[in-house]
Amino acid sequence: MTSSFSRSWLSLAGLLPVAIATTLFILFLQAVPVIAAGRTLRQVWQWVPGLGVDLSFVIDGLSLTFALLISGIGALVMLYSARYLAGHVHQARFSLLLTSFMLAMLGLVLSDNLLTLFVFWELTTITSYLLIGFDHSAKKARRSALQALLVTGVGGLALLAAIILIGTTAGTFELSELRAMPAILTGSTLYLPILVLVLLAAFTKSAQMPFHFWLPNAMAAPTPVSAYLHSATMVKAGIYLLARMHPSLSGTDVWLWTLTIAGAVTTVFASIMAVRQTDLKLALAYTTLMALGALTLLLGNSTGYAITAAVTFLIVHSLYKAALFLVIGIVDHGTGTREVDRLSGLVRAMPVTAAAAAVAALSMAGFPPFLGFIGKELKYAGALAVASEPVLVAGAVLLSSALMFAVAGIVALRPFWGKAGDPPKPPKEGPWAMLLGPVVLAGLGAFFGIMPSVIATTLVNPTVTAILAEPGEAKPLLLWAGINLPLLLSIATFVLGAFLYALHRPLRRGLIWITQRTPSLDGGWDGFLAGVMAVCRWQTQLLQTGILRRYLFLTFATAFVAMAGTLVAKDAIDLPNLVPDVLPKHGMLFVLIFLGLALTVITQSRIAAIAGLGVVGIGIAMLFILFSAPDVAITQLLVETLIVVLFAAAALRLPHLPRGGSGWRFWDAMLALGLGVTTTAILLMVTASPVDRELTGFFEGASWPEAFGRNIVNVILVDFRALDTFGEIAVVLVAAIGAYALLKGTPERQKK
Amino acid sequence: MGADLTILLPEIFLSLCAMAALIFAVYTTKDEVAPLLVWGTAAVFVALALWVALSGNVTRTAFGGMFVDDAFARFAKVTILLSAAAILVMSKDYMVKRDLLRFEYPVLIALAVVGMMIMVSAGDLMMLYMGLELQSLALYVVASLRRDSVKSTEAGLKYFVLGALSSGLLLYGASLTYGFAGTTSFAGIISVATDGNISVGLLFGLVFLTAGLAFKVSAAPFHMWTPDVYEGSPTPVTAFFATAPKVAAMALFARVVHDAFGGVVGDWQQILAFLAVISMFLGAIAAIGQRDIKRLMAYSSIAHMGFALVGLSAGTAQGVEAMLIYMAIYVTMNVGTFAFILTMEQDGRHITDIGGLNMLSAREPAKALAMLVLFFSLAGVPPLLGFFGKYGVLLAAVDAGLGWLAVAGAIASVIGAFYYLRIVFFMYFGDPEARGTDVAVAPVQGAFLIASAAVMVLGIINLFGVEALAASAAIALVN
Repeated sequence: MTSSFSRSWLSLAGLLPVAIATTLFILFLQAVPVIAAGRTLRQVWQWVPGLGVDLSFVIDGLSLTFALLISGIGALVMLYSARYLAGHVHQARFSLLLTSFMLAMLGLVLSDNLLTLFVFWELTTITSYLLIGFDHSAKKARRSALQALLVTGVGGLALLAAIILIGTTAGTFELSELRAMPAILTGSTLYLPILVLVLLAAFTKSAQMPFHFWLPNAMAAPTPVSAYLHSATMVKAGIYLLARMHPSLSGTDVWLWTLTIAGAVTTVFASIMAVRQTDLKLALAYTTLMALGALTLLLGNSTGYAITAAVTFLIVHSLYKAALFLVIGIVDHGTGTREVDRLSGLVRAMPVTAAAAAVAALSMAGFPPFLGFIGKELKYAGALAVASEPVLVAGAVLLSSALMFAVAGIVALRPFWGKAGDPPKPPKEGPWAMLLGPVVLAGLGAFFGIMPSVIATTLVNPTVTAILAEPGEAKPLLLWAGINLPLLLSIATFVLGAFLYALHRPLRRGLIWITQRTPSLDGGWDGFLAGVMAVCRWQTQLLQTGILRRYLFLTFATAFVAMAGTLVAKDAIDLPNLVPDVLPKHGMLFVLIFLGLALTVITQSRIAAIAGLGVVGIGIAMLFILFSAPDVAITQLLVETLIVVLFAAAALRLPHLPRGGSGWRFWDAMLALGLGVTTTAILLMVTASPVDRELTGFFEGASWPEAFGRNIVNVILVDFRALDTFGEIAVVLVAAIGAYALLKGTPERQKK
Repeated sequence: MGADLTILLPEIFLSLCAMAALIFAVYTTKDEVAPLLVWGTAAVFVALALWVALSGNVTRTAFGGMFVDDAFARFAKVTILLSAAAILVMSKDYMVKRDLLRFEYPVLIALAVVGMMIMVSAGDLMMLYMGLELQSLALYVVASLRRDSVKSTEAGLKYFVLGALSSGLLLYGASLTYGFAGTTSFAGIISVATDGNISVGLLFGLVFLTAGLAFKVSAAPFHMWTPDVYEGSPTPVTAFFATAPKVAAMALFARVVHDAFGGVVGDWQQILAFLAVISMFLGAIAAIGQRDIKRLMAYSSIAHMGFALVGLSAGTAQGVEAMLIYMAIYVTMNVGTFAFILTMEQDGRHITDIGGLNMLSAREPAKALAMLVLFFSLAGVPPLLGFFGKYGVLLAAVDAGLGWLAVAGAIASVIGAFYYLRIVFFMYFGDPEARGTDVAVAPVQGAFLIASAAVMVLGIINLFGVEALAASAAIALVN
C-alpha cells in the first residue's frame, strides 16, 4: 500500500474502470422499467454449435438485481481503489484484474446457458485468486490465494459435473428452457447426484460450513477487493446459483433440509466467530459468512415470505457490508491499524467516516427506519413460514441477529465514539474519492428503508418471480406491518443484542480460549496439502523407481491381472479334461525341464542361468520330437543353441549378477507362478475350443495336387509363400552385409 | 496393383525421400547437411499434409483391405505430419547449439512418420504391426540420440526393452485373434467378433492387443517408460514423443477397437474406461511432486491420454470425434510448450528444473503470458481451447451412459490443474531472488510459442473448423 496520498491520483489506470462500471450501471438501470413490467430480455449468439454451447444472455429480475449490485458497487469500489492504490507500482494490474472480475461476474449472472455460466464462474475464481494474491511477496497472501482457488476450484468442477448431468437429463443447457420443465430434474433418477454437485459448487463458492475457512483467509486481499469480491459480489455467486436453480431443484425434503441445516449452522457459527475477532476486517468477514448462511437458509424454502426475505436481505447486506468494509479501509489507511482495542473516539478526526459507519451499522443491526430493519422483519416472517421446524429456524435467526447487533456495535460504534484511543498514526479523514462509496451505500440503505416501495416493485418483485418461477408470490416490504410476531422477535433481538454487546469482552476472551483449543479446518489445511504431496511422493517411489526390473514386474503384473480378471469376469474358467496319457518318457522330460528351470532361478552365475534356459529349450525340442514334428524340433534346437552361444558371448562381458532383495525375489516368483498358471489355463481352454480349420484344410487338400509335396510346412515355405521366403532371405542377407560393415569398422580414409 | 500403389503414394514418396536423404548425406558431407535435411524433411511433411488434406473425401482401400485411406486416416495423418514438421523445425537451433544434430535425426523422424501413416491407415493386423514397429524402431534410436549421455542411452534402452515387451503382448494378442477369427483383416475380424458370440480366444486376443496398444499411448499402468524416457531423451526428441506418435497410437487404438472389434463395444469399453481413469488420476497426482519440467510433461501426457481414452471408451462416433479434437488440441499445446522448454538455459546449459521459471513474467512478459495461456489451456481452464477438448470427451462419455467416467474425469482435471497452475504461480508470483532461466529464443521457437498460445485463445471462436473435419473423420470410422 502507498503510505502517502499523492496528489496526482487521477490516472487512467485508476479511472478507466470507474468509467466502465458507471456506464454499465447506467445501461442496466435502463432495463429496470422493462423488467418491472414483468418482461425478460434475451440475446443469443451461436458459439460452438457442435457442442451445444451458445452465448445466450438473459435479463430477468434476478440477474438484473445482481447486475445492478455488481456494476453499482463496482463503480464506487473502483473509484475508492483508484485513490486507495494511487501510486502503487502494480496499480494498472490491479485495475485490470478488478475490471476483469466485474465483467466475469456480470457474465455469470447474465448467462442463460449453463456452460457459459460455468465458464464465467471459473473466471471469477481465477480473478479472485489473482486478487487475493495481489500482495504476492507476502507468504500468507499466497497461501490464502491458493486455498481459495483450490476450495472454489473443486466447487467449480463439481458444477461442471452437475451441468453435464443436467444436460443429460433435461436435454438442454439453456436455463430458460430448463425452467419451463419444472419436474424434469426433481423427478429424475439423477436428481440426488445433481443436487449434491450443485450444492457442493454453491457451498464452496459461498463459503458455507464446512467449506467456510477460505473466506476469512481471503481477507489478505486489499480492502477494496474484500469489500467487492468477498462480501458484496463473488461470494454471492453460490447464492445466485441456488436461486437460479431454485425452480428446477427445490421442493424436495433433501433440498429443504440440506439448505436449512447448512445455512443455520453457518449463520450461528459465523456470528459467534465474529464476536471473537479483534481485527475489524476479520470480524466483518465472519458477518459476511453469517449473511451467506442466512441466505442459504431462506432459499431452502419455497414460500413467498422466505424468498422475499432472501432477496431483500441480499440487497441490504450488499449495501451495508460494502460500506463497512470501505469504512474500515479508510480507518486502516488513516490510523495504521485495524485492531479494535486500539481504536476509539475517531469521530473527532473522521466525522464523515463515522457518520457513514453509523448509518451502515444501524442498518446492519436492523434498526428502523433502515432497510436492514425491513430485511430482518422479513427474515423472521420467512423463518416462521418454514412449515416443518419454525421454532428451530427462527431461533437460529434470532441468535445470529442478536450477535449481529453486537458486532455492529463493536465494528461501527466503538472505534468512533468514546475517548481518543491509541492508534499508531494520528487519525485523519479520508479523501472524498474514498468517502463517496461508504456515504452513498450507507445512504441508500437509509433511503430504501424509508421508501421501500422504490425497490419493492422494481427489483424485489421481479426477482422473487424469477426465483419461484411464478408471479405474484412476492410479499410487500413494509416499515410498519403492525404488531405481530416478527416485531416482537425484533424487540427481543435488540434486548439480547444489547446484552451481548455489553458482555462482549468476557465473551470474546472465552471464545478465544475455546477456539485456541479446538482443531480447525484451516489448521488441517496445511496438513492436507502436505498429505497430498506425501501421497504423490509415495506413489512415485513405488511406481517410478527408474529400475527397469520393477517396470517389467509391473507390466507383467498388469498382464496377469488383465488375464485373470478376464477369466473371472467372463466366467470362462472351463478347464477341459485334457490330461493325456502320461508315459514315463514324458515324465523324464518334465523332470529335465524342471531341473533346467530350477538351475536358472537358483544360480548366481549368468552363464549357468543361460545354460539352464538352454536345457529347458532342448526339453521342449524333445517334446516336439515325441509328438512327431521333427522339423519344428530341429528348428527349436538350432535356435536354442544359437541363443545360448550369443548370450554366453555377451554375458562374459557383463558384471556379476547382483543379489536382489529377497523380498522382491519372492514376489517375482509369485508373479511368475501366477502368470505361468494363467497362461497355461488360457492355452488349455483356447485349444479346447474349435480352431478355425479353413486354412489347414486348404493346405491339406492343395499341397499334393498343386505343389507336389507332402510336407505341408515345406510346401508353404517354398511354394505357396515362396515370395515371402525370398524376401526373408533377402532381409537376412542385407542384415549380414550391414553387420559385416559394422564389424569391419570405419574405413581408414575417415579415421584420419 | 497400380491402383493400390496410387493410394499409398504419400507413404511411398516419404519413404523414398527418407532413403534418398540418407544416401545423400552419407555420400556428401554427413552432419554438415543436417540443417538442410531438417528443413527439407519439414517441407516434405508440410507438402504431404497438404496433399493428404486435399485428396478428396472418399474412402479407398488398397491391397485387399490391408491399407485404408479414409477421412479418419487423413485427419490423423495431417495432424501427425504438421506436428512432426513443427517439432523438426523447432529443434534445429537447439540441436545445432549443442552439437547434437546428426543427419540421421531427420531421416529417422521421417521413417517414424512413415510408420505412423501406415499405422493410422492399417486395415489388417499385419499392417498394424508393420507400421507400429517401423515407428517404434526409429523412435528407440532417436531416444538415445545423445550417445555420450548416460541418461539418454538409458532412456533408449528402457524404451526398447519395455517396447519390445509390449510388442510381444500385442503379437500374442494378434496371433490369438488370427487363430480364432481365421483372418488378420479387420473386416474379417469384425464379422466374427459379434456381440454375445465372441469366443474366449478372441477375447484374450482383444485383451492382449489392448495391453500392447496401451503401452504405445503410454496409458497407465503401462506408462512407466514415459517419465524416464521423456527426461533422458534430448529435449527435441521428447517434444516429438509428446506429439505425433501419441496421435498415431491413439488413432491406431481407435481403428482396432472400432474397425476390428466394433461389434463388441461392451467388451472393450470397460477396459478402456479403466485405463482412462487410472491414467487421468496417476498423471494428475504423480505430476504434483515433480521438479523437472520434462518429467512433468510426461505425467501430463499420461493424464491427457487418459482423457483421450475417455472419448474413445464412449464407443460412439461422437466419442471418436471428441478424441480427435482432443488430440489435435493437445498436440498444438505441446508444440507451444516445448518450443518454450527448448529455450530454457543457464549459462548456455539447457536446464529443465521448474525453479528456473521463477518470476519469468518480470523478465519476459510476452513469453510468460504465452506460457500462462498454454498452461491454463493444458489444465482445461475455460474458456481456452483445452477446456473444449476436455468438455467434448466428457460429454461423449456422458452421452454413452458413462456418467461416472465423466465425473471421474472432472475430478482428475481439478487435481491436474493444480500443478499447471503451480508453474504459472512460479512465473508470476515466484521468488524474485531465485536464479531464473535465461530465455534464448530462436525466432522459429518464439513463433511457435506465440502461435500456439494464440490458437488457444482464438480457437474458441469456432475451433478453426476442426470440429467438422473431426466429425466426418469419426463417421468414416464408426459407421
